[in-house]
Amino acid sequence: MKDDSKPNHWLTAALLMPTTMWFLFMLILPFIVILIFSFGERAAVGGYAGGFTFEQYANLASRLKAFQNTLTFAPVGTLLSLLMAYPLAYYLALRVDRRYKLILLVLVIVPFWTSLLIRTYAWIFILGGRGIPLMLEWIGIEGVRLVNTPGAVMIGIVYGYLPLMVFPIFVSLEKLDKNLLEASNDLGGTPFKTFMQITLPLSMPGVATGCMFVFILLMGEFLIPAFLGGGKVFFIGNALVDLFLQSRNWPFGSAVSVTLVIIMLITVSLYMRLTSRTKTGRDESLM
Amino acid sequence: MRFYSIAVYLFLYVPIGIIVLFSFNAGRHASELRGLSIQWYGKALSNPFVGDAFFTSLVVAFVVAILSSLMGTAAALALQRLKGTIRILFDGMIYISIMIPGIVIGIATLVALVTVFDFLNPLLASIWPEGVKPLKLHMGYASLIAAHTLFTMSLVIILVRARIAGMDRALIEASTDLYATPWRTFYQITLPQIFPAILAGFLLSFTFSFDDFIISFFVAGANTTLPIYIFSSIRRGITPEVNAIGTMVLTVSLVLLMTAQYLMRLRTKR
Repeated sequence: MKDDSKPNHWLTAALLMPTTMWFLFMLILPFIVILIFSFGERAAVGGYAGGFTFEQYANLASRLKAFQNTLTFAPVGTLLSLLMAYPLAYYLALRVDRRYKLILLVLVIVPFWTSLLIRTYAWIFILGGRGIPLMLEWIGIEGVRLVNTPGAVMIGIVYGYLPLMVFPIFVSLEKLDKNLLEASNDLGGTPFKTFMQITLPLSMPGVATGCMFVFILLMGEFLIPAFLGGGKVFFIGNALVDLFLQSRNWPFGSAVSVTLVIIMLITVSLYMRLTSRTKTGRDESLM
Repeated sequence: MRFYSIAVYLFLYVPIGIIVLFSFNAGRHASELRGLSIQWYGKALSNPFVGDAFFTSLVVAFVVAILSSLMGTAAALALQRLKGTIRILFDGMIYISIMIPGIVIGIATLVALVTVFDFLNPLLASIWPEGVKPLKLHMGYASLIAAHTLFTMSLVIILVRARIAGMDRALIEASTDLYATPWRTFYQITLPQIFPAILAGFLLSFTFSFDDFIISFFVAGANTTLPIYIFSSIRRGITPEVNAIGTMVLTVSLVLLMTAQYLMRLRTKR
């Protein structure tokens, strides 16, 4: 409790009290409970019966498909979002007139904060039987099925998480010292060389932040595969909804959650190690 | 590159536009556009289930926004005075609660609260006066609010802290030098400067809570929020009514978001 001005440790403690309670009861306690549950057994009526067994973890392989799908779609989806987001972020940060920059940026961010439920639903509509397939029929291509395919899930992923990727990359490109670009140009660097040697390396913190956020959120995704995967493409999130809300196998569900959290923690610590050398703040990358 | 950017904007907004367009469909089938009308808005608004769900979402979002902006601002103010282990501990918690996927928060809250309730309910029943129906704890408004607030509170802390960092320290020093009490300095100098961030945090918290599906899906108990209602109607089949409700939800969040964005980028006035 070191304080730069002398007074009032009490005030500081009081101000932090509610937040502390929340972290304690809504974050730390629940995780301890889940951890304990994951070593327990399933009660006959569902829910939890005590005990200490590694059975649940040994059983993880029965949901192997969900893990495989998630661990394929999450990295590939992150990469596709990155490839699609980077040119846009570059354009917004370095090519657009100052006057329009703000409004154009806001237009990218806003969809991310609107309901993912409704935005994903829009694609059921577009990819469904009376959407694009109907248009294809008019030009003579028949029998195309788009919804409930891996491709549909991928479109949903990129659509849902593209905005989250654009913003951090934009921030790091915006901060980049424009003199460096001019210097490289004056020294006879080709635009490609300038990009590879200056722009790209300096925007890496933004790329890392964007990738981490998208990857972690994709690891826990439920809605997109539920709507666009039609039971064929399902993620860990779908398995969790099934385990907790339908089959009520809480201990096994807890083991799956713990595994998921561990995978995410590994990702985050890798990220921290990657970005600890650069000073670009993480705070401002959120909004 | 310009054309590419235009294409991305189209990709982002055309699907939203289609939902809005089809919500004005005069026809009975969701995906066949036959003239424009607002009949589905009438249908949606007169549906009592929609009304109930809307009311639940509104109350929860409002309480979440108030709690988060108060507690988040308090914590942000306190954290700027702290250094060392405690500060690192709090920063860790804040980042974890922001980054963790909603589904994990939902599950953790469900499991923990149900366990605690199962433990407390018999206890409550045993100490309750005889003849009176004992209080029974269950999932509902409180669990929805508590779970949403974990995320939104941390969001407010980050927004307000960024604002405090950009604040002019000289003003505070001047105020102290002129013998203003700490409370008065806070009220007259600090608060006006950080207020846009608090308000933006309030609006974002409201939007997050109002739009959230996955956390609510786990912790809502017998209650239905608007996104849960929309989810189950989509599962039953697509009707133009869903498009109308969806358009209304989008409008609410768009208005709030635009305001929040405006506030956050507002320059600090003297």
